[in-house]
Amino acid sequence: MVNEHIEIRNFSVCYGKECALKNVSLKIPNNAITVILGPSGCGKSTLLKSLNRLIDEVEDVRVEGEIIVDGKNIYDKDVKLPELRKKMGLLLQKPQVLPFSIYKNVIFGPKLNGIKDKKKLREMAQKYLTMAHLWEEVKDRIYEPAHKLSIGQQQRLCLARGLAVEPEILLCDEPTSALDPLSSKKVEETLLELKKDYTIILVTHILRQAKRLGDFIAFFYLGELVEFAPAKEFFENPKDERTRAYIKGEIS
Amino acid sequence: MERIKREKLFVLLMKLSLAIFLLLTFSLFTSIFFKGISFLSFEMVFSKPSRGFYMGGGGGIFPSIIGSLVLASSSTAIAFLLSLPLSIFISLYSRSTFSNFVRNFVDLLWGIPSIVYGIFGFFIMIYLGLKASLLAGIITLSFVVFPLILRSLDELFQNVPFSLKEASLSLGLSKFQMAVKVFLKAIAPGMLSAILISFGRAIGDSASILFTAGFSDNFPISLFSPTSSLPLVVFYLYSSPDEEVSGRAYAASLILIAIAVFISIISRRIGKRIYGK
Amino acid sequence: MFFQALKKFFIKFYTLIPFFLFFLIFFYLLFSSLDFLKGRSLTELIFSSQWKPLKGDFGFFPFWFSSFYVTALSALIFIPVGLLISVYISEYANRRIKDILKPFFDVLSAIPSVVFGLWGFTVIVPFVSRMGNFLGISTSGYSILSASIVLSLMVLPFMITLCISIFEMVPFSLKESVLSLGATRFEMVEKVLIPQCKKGIIASIFLSLGRAIGETMAVMMVVGCTFKVPKTPFDPAYPIPALIANEFGEMMSISSYKGALLFSAFLLNLIVLIFHFIFRKAFLRNS
Repeated sequence: MVNEHIEIRNFSVCYGKECALKNVSLKIPNNAITVILGPSGCGKSTLLKSLNRLIDEVEDVRVEGEIIVDGKNIYDKDVKLPELRKKMGLLLQKPQVLPFSIYKNVIFGPKLNGIKDKKKLREMAQKYLTMAHLWEEVKDRIYEPAHKLSIGQQQRLCLARGLAVEPEILLCDEPTSALDPLSSKKVEETLLELKKDYTIILVTHILRQAKRLGDFIAFFYLGELVEFAPAKEFFENPKDERTRAYIKGEIS
Repeated sequence: MERIKREKLFVLLMKLSLAIFLLLTFSLFTSIFFKGISFLSFEMVFSKPSRGFYMGGGGGIFPSIIGSLVLASSSTAIAFLLSLPLSIFISLYSRSTFSNFVRNFVDLLWGIPSIVYGIFGFFIMIYLGLKASLLAGIITLSFVVFPLILRSLDELFQNVPFSLKEASLSLGLSKFQMAVKVFLKAIAPGMLSAILISFGRAIGDSASILFTAGFSDNFPISLFSPTSSLPLVVFYLYSSPDEEVSGRAYAASLILIAIAVFISIISRRIGKRIYGK
Repeated sequence: MFFQALKKFFIKFYTLIPFFLFFLIFFYLLFSSLDFLKGRSLTELIFSSQWKPLKGDFGFFPFWFSSFYVTALSALIFIPVGLLISVYISEYANRRIKDILKPFFDVLSAIPSVVFGLWGFTVIVPFVSRMGNFLGISTSGYSILSASIVLSLMVLPFMITLCISIFEMVPFSLKESVLSLGATRFEMVEKVLIPQCKKGIIASIFLSLGRAIGETMAVMMVVGCTFKVPKTPFDPAYPIPALIANEFGEMMSISSYKGALLFSAFLLNLIVLIFHFIFRKAFLRNS
């Protein structure tokens, strides 16, 4: 573990009396894939949404503790949400393409940030579509509406769109759960390629996916962080009883 | 920074619009409330206009209240009885292209302004050999309310979950039995609120009964004599230079507002009960 | 067998009542106006402003011009204000504000139009008159501006309720993904939410316009009703519904006058139907 630019300190999220996350502390290593693993309803997605403060969109939610990104608590009052979110690309379970063409989807972020030069925008579109392994499939029809793509292609388009904002961190919320096996494989390969340049946080409940992709595993159960360890250690020598049970498939 | 400023500017504009809107509605309620409340006495609500009523003599608007209640309740009842079987046919019997064809026309009818219904009602009235009367008013108002109530009934039927349809058919019920026993029960609360809302629309509508219901000081005893109604009291009295007389327009308006508030509270209660379950 | 067929026929026939009723109204107005139009030049009817029923001069220009003037001015008010308020309520306001405002809109849309007219007479007409005097324009206050303000307040709850229900159909995850790209909330609204809902918004605008142009009583009570062609928003005007409401009952003895009024009703109905047609097209393509 070299350095961390995300550090979660004593972090809790509660809706009314129910708490989705209880006093979580975690340092997320740079340039690696950290897998947030756990059965559904354990607070994985809540954690992900807390990182880019999409949790603010939920009504009647109470947040305690700190999340430090690049030395600054993102729950401080003076944090500008657009700038925070620009640092983090988000990939949802179901791809949500914008109601525009493929091209416009990719350059949506750069355009928001004031890039107007047509040639530069086109270059960016090609670059990020290539990074997301989509360019070859769509290069002849990038001006067609994005919703015409297959779900798998749409997910890669969302990835390209996220990358085009030039984030440092990628947040992935079970990004392959709605995809066919082939598309899933492509997305996974892309993520493995990307980890040398990005800090990736991947939420999943699929053990095998965690094994395939994870450098570090954080296991959550009922809102608590049960165990955090490098992947090899986590699978070969789990320390907690609950982790062992989960790996064996006894709790799900 | 430019972007944040833009955001703030538009949020400010939104709040400003909402504030102006609320200010105007506030002025609507208060202006009519304060002018009307001083005229809203027991005599005003529960007595007939006396001689010299239109010159500031005593008496009240009781016949108009009764007239409006009779007009609105009978026309709503007629429209409801006509549209209930129709909505059942549309949603249960017909193939969807045919029902959508009919739905188009329901929507078009719904969009026709009430003054046009007034003219059409006048034509029907002459055709039937009637004069401006309670009956002609009821017929005209039924036309106004008919598409309204049909539309909400149709919507209610469409919102009945498909699983309920399957379940009741698999129990061996015929389509008709299904319609009556299962669906009507399922939509009963919604139906009540649709009736209430249509009643509210009927009691406030004035352009349609302007030529057909006539105007009178008496209680609506006969179907064939003219009747008085609250909206037309407002319309005929508001511009009177005599403050005693124009005050009655405000009193009548206040009663109309009270009815509107009452109806929306009740139908919201009913709505909550449906969604609560 | 026979009864089965009869029953089927009856049901079909009964279900077609809305269709028959619509055509009855439409053709009644059409044929009555055709009678009236015989031997008159349509261009003169539409573009002349000579209105002398007793001499048989019927120039409709002041009336349809007034109708469009009042409706257009109120559209200038209610479209931007309505959109801003709907966006605020659906995207910015918290649940408490929503819970207070939504029933409030219901109540407001249940209030009869004469009450709006009375309010316009009591509050808006004097206000516009004072405003005119302040600006150095002599006006009684009975004017296009007053009518537009009253109409806007009448139409707004309707339009806002429609727009909010359209905005709420957009999946939350789409909004989330736009925000996660670093967009401000307003950029999300402007660049994604509104383009996504464009057709629904157009539909609700045209539905509201249809309501506004057909509104009779409230407009009539504040618009002044003079037979002159209006110029500024501070001038009085005479929209078609007000013309019908004022004259239809009284002028029945002159048959050409009755014809003229039926023709204007036909025009009004046609305009509203065109608005509805646009609404249907926009809405059907949306879903």
